Amino acid sequence: MAAEGQEHLWDKEEKEHRTYNDIRIFTEEELKKAAYTEEELKAFKIKHATPQMDELEKGPWPSCFSDVKREALHRKKLGQDNLMLPVECCEDLLGQVELSYINKETHWKHGGIIGVLGYGGGVIGRYSDQQDKFPSIAHFHTVRINQPGGHFYNTDYLRGLCDICEYRGSGIMNMHGSTGDTIFLGTFTEQLEPIFFDLTHDMGGDIGGSGSNLRTPSDCLGMARCEWACFDTLDMCYDMTMSFQDELHRPAFPYKYKFKFSGCPNDCVAAIARADQSHIGTWKDDIRIDQEAVKEYVAGKIPPDGGAFAGRDWGPFDIQKEVIDLCPTQCMRWDGNKLTINNPECTRCMHCIDVMPEALRPGVDTGITLLFGAKAPILEGAQMSLVTIPFMYVKKPYDNLKEVTRKVQDWWMEEGKNRERLGECIQRFGLKTFITDVLGIPVMPQSIREPRSNPYMFFKESEVPGGWKRDIKDYRKKHPL
Amino acid sequence: MGTEEIKKALIEYLSKGAKTKVYFKDMVSGVKKTIPDATGSEVKKAATELVSEGAVEYFSTGSTTMYGLKGRGISSEESGTQTE
Repeated sequence: MAAEGQEHLWDKEEKEHRTYNDIRIFTEEELKKAAYTEEELKAFKIKHATPQMDELEKGPWPSCFSDVKREALHRKKLGQDNLMLPVECCEDLLGQVELSYINKETHWKHGGIIGVLGYGGGVIGRYSDQQDKFPSIAHFHTVRINQPGGHFYNTDYLRGLCDICEYRGSGIMNMHGSTGDTIFLGTFTEQLEPIFFDLTHDMGGDIGGSGSNLRTPSDCLGMARCEWACFDTLDMCYDMTMSFQDELHRPAFPYKYKFKFSGCPNDCVAAIARADQSHIGTWKDDIRIDQEAVKEYVAGKIPPDGGAFAGRDWGPFDIQKEVIDLCPTQCMRWDGNKLTINNPECTRCMHCIDVMPEALRPGVDTGITLLFGAKAPILEGAQMSLVTIPFMYVKKPYDNLKEVTRKVQDWWMEEGKNRERLGECIQRFGLKTFITDVLGIPVMPQSIREPRSNPYMFFKESEVPGGWKRDIKDYRKKHPL
Repeated sequence: MGTEEIKKALIEYLSKGAKTKVYFKDMVSGVKKTIPDATGSEVKKAATELVSEGAVEYFSTGSTTMYGLKGRGISSEESGTQTE
């Protein structure tokens, strides 16, 4: 059964758990017929010569070429009567990629007027510019599917997705894209509405975000599996996804906008590096210490790092070298008998907790740190999110978080240039403007790394005790225009 | 501000100009020339209605999305046959 409040994701309509048998497209018999042996795979030749792609299978790593070849054989065995797309689309795909290897340029065109009615995102148009040569991939649209929170699938749901993808698409899926969502790679325009219907009506799912939308929110598995989670990432991600549906499906932003939710500062979804709005769990009080367990780590009775480095002999655990000396703020001390932490200096790097999880745990007064502005290096360079609100209590229905989010989005929609990410907009206006004028939060000394060296922070004379006098003529002597 | 009025201004804006596909922000500026008090959210609401009615369509590159008047510029049928 689904979690309370989330029943309609899967089983609300039926009032009971829906299984693969309720929604399946292929019968057991059809799937059995389509099964192939490794010998059959070895003997299988695709219809195009692919000498360069064949090389990919010779290396030590798994090859996408092998996977697509498997799907090509599977489709052949399923037969055209059981598929809505041409049976040979995987073979044509490999043929076109081979041609791209020869010509050293892509043969895809992307974008266009493509999607499902009323949605301004989630489908990315892709077309072959070699449609005469590879007609079965004339269209090869990408469909982004909003993934279940924390990637918690059950096999029924996964099989349902696979059926849709194989029946109405190429059968090639990406689990998961860096966006976090499930991606169907390759389908024709006429299959988009049927895919949407199957996904929403049969599976209780939805399409994700693309274009100038809120992108598919993404979260770590949080409290469901992880004892370090400082907030319920699954619930917050779901709640924010539902609250910002209009932003997710109807594009009105200057560019993309991403929410990511990490339960603790280990930041397993890399929110700090990728999200315009990163929510990272943190705590206000002290790291909990079990002194007896610390001693057991020191005595070698408990393997450090949860046993993650047990495959090789790294020598006995050295708490001084492996924990104390590696603390970025040097806020820890081990006197041979007792571990002490100067908590106000802790920057939540999580290293000590990661190394000695049985001895150290995050505090109990928990909430989130809210950061803004990460982006990939399209303009200027990659940017990490900036800690904007160091601590915020979060409790359903997360009104405080939604209020801040709307303030930020409204400002960015008003001031942001076309194709300007939030981080670039903050950089252009200055962090001070963003914090004080947009969010209405007083500037804190912690926002500045060192006095006068942070280019994003400018104080007004009235904000500094005593103010200052500036002789512009004297300044211009050294700094002519 | 009435949605119908904004819709009319939107259609007018999208019918003119050299560009057949425009960013949302440009669309808001365009509407504001006719209706200075129109807000971004009002324009969004009007644009969404026009999309539902089939008068306006989205044009997406995958990374950004633009709006265009249906029948003006590249069409959905052509988007598969023309190189960008």
